[in-house]
Amino acid sequence: MNGDLSTDRALAARGSPGLARTMARRGTRMLLASDPDFPISDDLPQRPGRLFMEGDRPEVLRAPRVAIVGTRAATPHGLADARALGAFLAGAGVSVVSGLAIGIDGAAHHGALAAAGVRGDDPAGPIGVVATGLDIVYPRRHATLFERVRRHGVLLGEHSFGVPPGRARFPVRNRIIAALGDVVVVVEATSKGGSRITADRALDYGRPVFAMPGSRRNPAAAGCNALIADGAQPLLDPSDILLALGMTQGVRRGWSNPTPKRSMTSAAVLVHRALAGEPAHPDELAVRTGLPPGELAVAVEDLVDAGFAERSRGFVWPT
Amino acid sequence: MLASVRSAVLVGVDAHPVHVEVHVASHGLPAYNLVGLPDAAVREARERVRAAILSSGLEWPQRRITVNLAPSGLRKTGAGLDLPAALGVLAANGALPETVLEGVGVIGELGLDGSIRSVPGTLVLVDALRQAGATSVLIPMGNAAEAALVGGVRILPCRSLAETRACLKDESPWPDPPSQPAEPTATTPHTPDAPVVELGDVRGLPGARRALEVAVAGGHHLLLVGPPGAGKTLLAQCLPSILPPLTDDEALEVTKIHSAAGHPVGGALLRSRPFRAPHHTASAAALVGGGSGRPRPGEATLAHRGALFLDELGEFTPRVLDALRQPLEERVVRISRQHSALTFPADFLLVASTNPCPCGLGPPGCTCNEALRARYRRRLSGPLVDRFDLRVAVGTAPPDAALGPPSAEVAARVAQAVTRQRARYRNAAWRRNAAVPAGALLSGIPLSEEVDRILSEAARRRQWSGRGLAGVRRVARTLADLDDTDDVTVGHVLLAAGMREDVLA
Repeated sequence: MNGDLSTDRALAARGSPGLARTMARRGTRMLLASDPDFPISDDLPQRPGRLFMEGDRPEVLRAPRVAIVGTRAATPHGLADARALGAFLAGAGVSVVSGLAIGIDGAAHHGALAAAGVRGDDPAGPIGVVATGLDIVYPRRHATLFERVRRHGVLLGEHSFGVPPGRARFPVRNRIIAALGDVVVVVEATSKGGSRITADRALDYGRPVFAMPGSRRNPAAAGCNALIADGAQPLLDPSDILLALGMTQGVRRGWSNPTPKRSMTSAAVLVHRALAGEPAHPDELAVRTGLPPGELAVAVEDLVDAGFAERSRGFVWPT
Repeated sequence: MLASVRSAVLVGVDAHPVHVEVHVASHGLPAYNLVGLPDAAVREARERVRAAILSSGLEWPQRRITVNLAPSGLRKTGAGLDLPAALGVLAANGALPETVLEGVGVIGELGLDGSIRSVPGTLVLVDALRQAGATSVLIPMGNAAEAALVGGVRILPCRSLAETRACLKDESPWPDPPSQPAEPTATTPHTPDAPVVELGDVRGLPGARRALEVAVAGGHHLLLVGPPGAGKTLLAQCLPSILPPLTDDEALEVTKIHSAAGHPVGGALLRSRPFRAPHHTASAAALVGGGSGRPRPGEATLAHRGALFLDELGEFTPRVLDALRQPLEERVVRISRQHSALTFPADFLLVASTNPCPCGLGPPGCTCNEALRARYRRRLSGPLVDRFDLRVAVGTAPPDAALGPPSAEVAARVAQAVTRQRARYRNAAWRRNAAVPAGALLSGIPLSEEVDRILSEAARRRQWSGRGLAGVRRVARTLADLDDTDDVTVGHVLLAAGMREDVLA
C-alpha cells in the first residue's frame, strides 16, 4: 500500500518536475484519495482525486468539522451571526470549513480566528477551501485572512498552481466544502447562489444541513428559508450543531446576546422595541416612536453605545 | 485722419476697457486692416461695418483704413466692437465731429442694414466703461434696460447707425429707453426649464427634508442617497423655493456673472439665487468653466451664491467631478491659459444625488454583494465624498405619508437661521456656518463641556477624520440656528452626526 502511494507521488512529481519543485519551495503537500488519512471518505461521489494542502496546522483536519457558508451579499445581521457561529464552534473545539469568500464565508473564519487559542491543546482550526491554485489569493481583499488561515489551520484546493478564479470553478469547489463538513450550516443565502449548491451537495452526501431562518423582507434570507421549507433544520440554537456532531453538551446554551454595558434610557428601549429585530430607516423609527428628531438621535446613539444596534448604510440595524 | 473710440470687451466674467483707434490714410490703396488680437467675430466686423455704413447712406472711404484695438496684448472677442469701429471710421472720415465721442463709451453689434443689435454682458461692459471714466455710453436699445442698472453713467440707446449719427450730431433727440423690462419673470438665474417644486407637495421623507433645510440654512454640501423613485430629485427641485433671497451686493455680483455669460438679464437685478442642474454628460469645461476661445464661466460659476445640483452623481465622468474639488475648497475656479490666468467666483451649495448600489434598492432589500457595491462606490472619489457634510439615506415614503410643511414655512426658518449667522459672524470674514474655517472652529462654534465630550465620543466611535469632526460641529450649529437657540445641545450634535452616515458603505 505504501509502495503504491509513493509510486503515485513519484508519478505526480515525474509528470511535472516543475510542480514538484514549486511544492517543495512552498511547503505544499499533496493528499491523494488513496491515502488512508484523506479527509474525504471514499464513498462520496465526485470525490476529488487529490487535494493540495498548505498551512501550519494539518491536524485541524482531525477535529470535528463544520462548514459555514453563505452569500457574499450579506447583511450586518448575517455577518454578525456568521462571526458568532464561527467563534462558538472554534470555542467548542470544532474546525470551521469555509470558502474564504467575501461576506458570510469570511465572517465565519474571522469569528473562528478570533476565538482560536481559547483551548490551546485541541486540534481545531480554520480550514479554507479555495477554487483556484493555492498560490492565488482570491478575493484579493482577503489576503490577510488567507495568511491567518494558513498560520492557524490549512488551505485546501484541488487545482494546481496558477489556476485563476473562474466562474465555473466555485460551484465545483463547493462540493469539497460540503464533503469536508460533518455538518453544513447556511447562515444567509439569496434564493439563487452558491450556498444552495453547497447545501444540495451536503444533502447528497447525507450531511445534516442547518439553515438560519430570516425575515421574508431580507432577500439574503430567502435561500435559507427555502432550504428550511425543503427540509433543512432551522438553526435556532448553535448547540444543536454540537448535538448533530455527537458532541452533546446536554444544555442548550443559546446565542450569546450582547449584555447591556449600562442601563438604557427609556427612549432607547422604545427605539429598540420599534426596531423589532429588523433594520429600519430613521424616518420609520421617528414614525414608530413619535420621538422628535433630536431625541431619536440621542436614543439611537445610546442603543448603539449599549451594543444593541449598529448603523450601516444610513439604516439602524439591531444586533 | 485719426479717431479713437472707447469700448470694452468681456474677459471671463469681467470686462476690460478697449480703445478702438481708426486711421484713414490720405493716400494709399483702398484697404481695411484690423490689428490688435481680434478673434473671428471681431475680424468679421469689417464686412458688417462696411455694409452698415453703406446701407445707412453714408460714404465708405476708398482709402487705406487701419483699425487698432488697444491694448494690443488683450484678446478681443465678440461683436460688440462693430459700432465703435463704424463710428471710428465715420469720425476719421469727417462724417462725424470727433469731439462728440469724447467721454463716450460705445458698445453694439451692427447688422448689414445699419441696425444695431444687442450684445451679451452689457452690465459688466458698461460698468467697466464707467470705471474707465466714461460719462455716457451708447448701447443697443435691447440692452438699454440692463445698462441702466449701472448708476452714474448716462445711457444713450441706439437703434440704427444713421439715427445714432444724427443724435450724436444733435440733429435729432435720443430715443427713449424702454420704460419697462420686457419680461421680468424670465430673469431667474436657473437652468432653463428646471422645474421648481413646492416642498408642501412632497410626501414623507422627514430626514431628507431636514437635511435639505440644514444644507440651505448653513451652506453645507448635501449628498442624497436612495433608491430610484424615492424623491431625491424632487426634493432637490424644491431648493429654489427655500433659498433665501440675494442681498443687494450679491444680487449685483450674480447679475454681472449671468450678464457676462450671455443670459438675458432684463432691467432688474437678479434677486433669486441661482439653481443650476447640469446633465451628467457635462464636460469639465461645462462644469467648472474654460473651454476653447474665450474662457467661459461653467455651471459652478453660474451657480455662484446659489445651488448646484448634480443628479446621478455616479454617472458623471470621474475626471469631471474631481475638477470640482478645487472650487469646493477655495470657492473660486482658476483657469490657467498660456497668456492669462482667470479667476471665476464659484461659491455654491453642492447638492448631489446617487443610488446606493447597482441594484439601486439599498438596505434592507438590496441583493448586491460587497464587491459590486465597492466597485459602485469607487465611481465617487473618497475626497469628493468627504466634502459632503450631509450624507443622508433617503428612505421610501409610504403612500399614505403626510404631506410636509410648505416651502414658505421652511424658507422662513432658513431666513431666520441665516440672519442669526450674519449677526454672529458680523465681525468675521465668513457669513455661514459651513464657511467657519477649521482654525476658528473652537471659538466660532463653542460647545458646552458635556456636548463637546459627547461629540468627541461619537467621533471616536465612527473614526471620523478631522474634517469629519469639524463638519459635524458646523452642522450642529446650523441645527441650533434653525431651532433659534444659542445653545448647541446633545440632540443637535447627534442629529448632525446621524446626517453624516457612511451611506455608501
